[in-house]
Amino acid sequence: MTRFSRPTAPRTALVGAAALAAALCACSAPGESDSDAGSDSGPIRIAIVNARSGQLSSLGDWEYKGAKLAVDEWNKKGGIDGRKIQVKSFDDQGDPTTGTNLARKIDSGNYIAMIGTAESAVTIAMAPVLKQAEIPNITSGQADALVEQKSPFLFLNGPTSTTYDTTLAKHLVEEKGYKRIAVITNNGSFGKGEHDAFTKAVKDLGVTPVTDQVVTTDQKEFSAALTRIRSAKPDVVFIGSEEVEAGLIVKQARDLGIDAPFAGAAPQGTPVFMDTAGKAAVEGTIVSSPYLGNDISPAAEKFAAAYKSAYGEDAEMHGAKAYDGANILLTALKTSKVATGRELADAIRATAYDGLLGEFRYNDDGVGITRTTIGVIRDGKLVEVK
Amino acid sequence: MQETLQTLVGGLSLGAVYALVAMGFSLVYRTMGLVNFAHADIAMIGAYTASTFYLTVRLPFAAAMAVAIVVTGAIGLVIERVLRPLENKDFDLMLIGTIGFGIVLQALAIIIWGTTGRAVPSPLDAAPFTVLGIRVRTYDLLVMAVAALAVVGLGFFLSRTKRGAAMQAAALDHEAATAVGIDVGRSNALAFAIGAGLAALAGGLVGPMLYVDASLGGALGIKGFAAAMLGGFGSIHGAVVGGIAIGVLDSYAAGHFQGYSVLVTFLVFTVAIMIRPMGIFGERTVSRA
Repeated sequence: MTRFSRPTAPRTALVGAAALAAALCACSAPGESDSDAGSDSGPIRIAIVNARSGQLSSLGDWEYKGAKLAVDEWNKKGGIDGRKIQVKSFDDQGDPTTGTNLARKIDSGNYIAMIGTAESAVTIAMAPVLKQAEIPNITSGQADALVEQKSPFLFLNGPTSTTYDTTLAKHLVEEKGYKRIAVITNNGSFGKGEHDAFTKAVKDLGVTPVTDQVVTTDQKEFSAALTRIRSAKPDVVFIGSEEVEAGLIVKQARDLGIDAPFAGAAPQGTPVFMDTAGKAAVEGTIVSSPYLGNDISPAAEKFAAAYKSAYGEDAEMHGAKAYDGANILLTALKTSKVATGRELADAIRATAYDGLLGEFRYNDDGVGITRTTIGVIRDGKLVEVK
Repeated sequence: MQETLQTLVGGLSLGAVYALVAMGFSLVYRTMGLVNFAHADIAMIGAYTASTFYLTVRLPFAAAMAVAIVVTGAIGLVIERVLRPLENKDFDLMLIGTIGFGIVLQALAIIIWGTTGRAVPSPLDAAPFTVLGIRVRTYDLLVMAVAALAVVGLGFFLSRTKRGAAMQAAALDHEAATAVGIDVGRSNALAFAIGAGLAALAGGLVGPMLYVDASLGGALGIKGFAAAMLGGFGSIHGAVVGGIAIGVLDSYAAGHFQGYSVLVTFLVFTVAIMIRPMGIFGERTVSRA
């Protein structure tokens, strides 16, 4: 009888685990082997790095579409100095380790600048390599830790968490007069940044949160934390987590009978948040955002229309941010006559750009905009609070 | 006290979903001795299919679920058919094959439904009600009731029907079963199809509770797998107890350990598995590994 012997259970498990690990590592896109050295002629090569697969892929998708739209518009106008702009998308899977590998690939592939990523943690991991290679990077991250990198090549296309949260804290404490503030944040890089920035901002205004709950990034069930928040009887609940989780928290909170309004930064202004929680549940949510909606200005309306015709879906804040970021980079390339390295970084720093998010004026920390607007969700739409 | 009970209620509903996922894992394992690593992604496909037929085609929720179960059942049959030549020949390759199918299904979901995912509104309009100060969601009750029905139905099928008994026999002794005229291939195919249907049931039910996107499988799969292990891999009752245990444990860990809840949940799980490596209801006789 030539039957193969069955492997024992531990071996099977081991093989399974090894295969799983191999499978997880094998998903990255094959690398670009193309390496043309000359950068004075031919297309201008720019890398767009974002999560195109995995949990954060919707964020990466918005970012990519926003940046690509700006590049396409410039190319339609004839490019820069008669040269076309060529972008290549890289998938970082939302993973810092993948990001550092990509940073090296971007360096060896002679890309002169990088747009992305949407994840602060990935951008921070890539920053040292890009700094050494002198490749300017416009990120969509907002963590204050980005500024702490002190890289002259790292620029933000929006405000930092501190700006979002101090604006929000001022509104809640000074204008609304809320004294009982509950805080629920996740322990990921974004949630931790929000937690620290918001609690500091309210403490500076003399308010200590009545309860401070921390959840994990992949938690689905919040009964315990929300029951505690309910018994603290807050005037408002601050959420520091990504779109879907914030939506689930609000949905479950309403089911548990919490009537207080919610407040938070950019994620709570997105359609994903509103859909996840349900229209009735998000009514009255207070949002701090540099881009409250597609109707905030004529420029935003024009952007939204172009976005819709290019991709068949509605634009939102992340796409707008990436669009602004890409435009700043392209403007700097134009004014510097396609400089590279430090010269290009200096050109970005010197670029004064009036974009969808507001007036960008960079200073030495790489932050170009330090203002957000307070909006409130009414009837499923984010409207500005005057 | 109120917080303790509220946490329990919250944990039970997700626990019921984990139990369904664990039952699918266990059913395939007890029949073929194989862990189907694509199981969680089949649940994700089930969730997407159910939500598509519910939201876009506008079928009633129950009908949408039925469609999802049929679709995933067919996927289960396809996976079994592709892996069948390896049965009794190369077990490791079969395992890796299921992992491969999982990746394929995720990629398919992104191609068909895109990356953004979707929120599914609850099919029940009834507002949550309050019992002794505990808020209970009507939808959670529905989920628990459907899960209970599935447990009873599967138990009945396995113990009281001829085909179910044949599956048990094939599980116990593959060669003896073949000798008495049981078609083992068909029995395996059936196990895969029912397992996939259970996954779709779990995925479809969890849709309105969570958010449906291509990574949904990851969220359900790890906890469902742990539930199956805790209950005793291959045991249907074990899967139910394990699922509810993991759901409730997770819920309490979240309350007490906040950011470290996952760590605590899996530490407790590890200790439990060290004390009872076979799980709560585990017996090695079922296992063909």
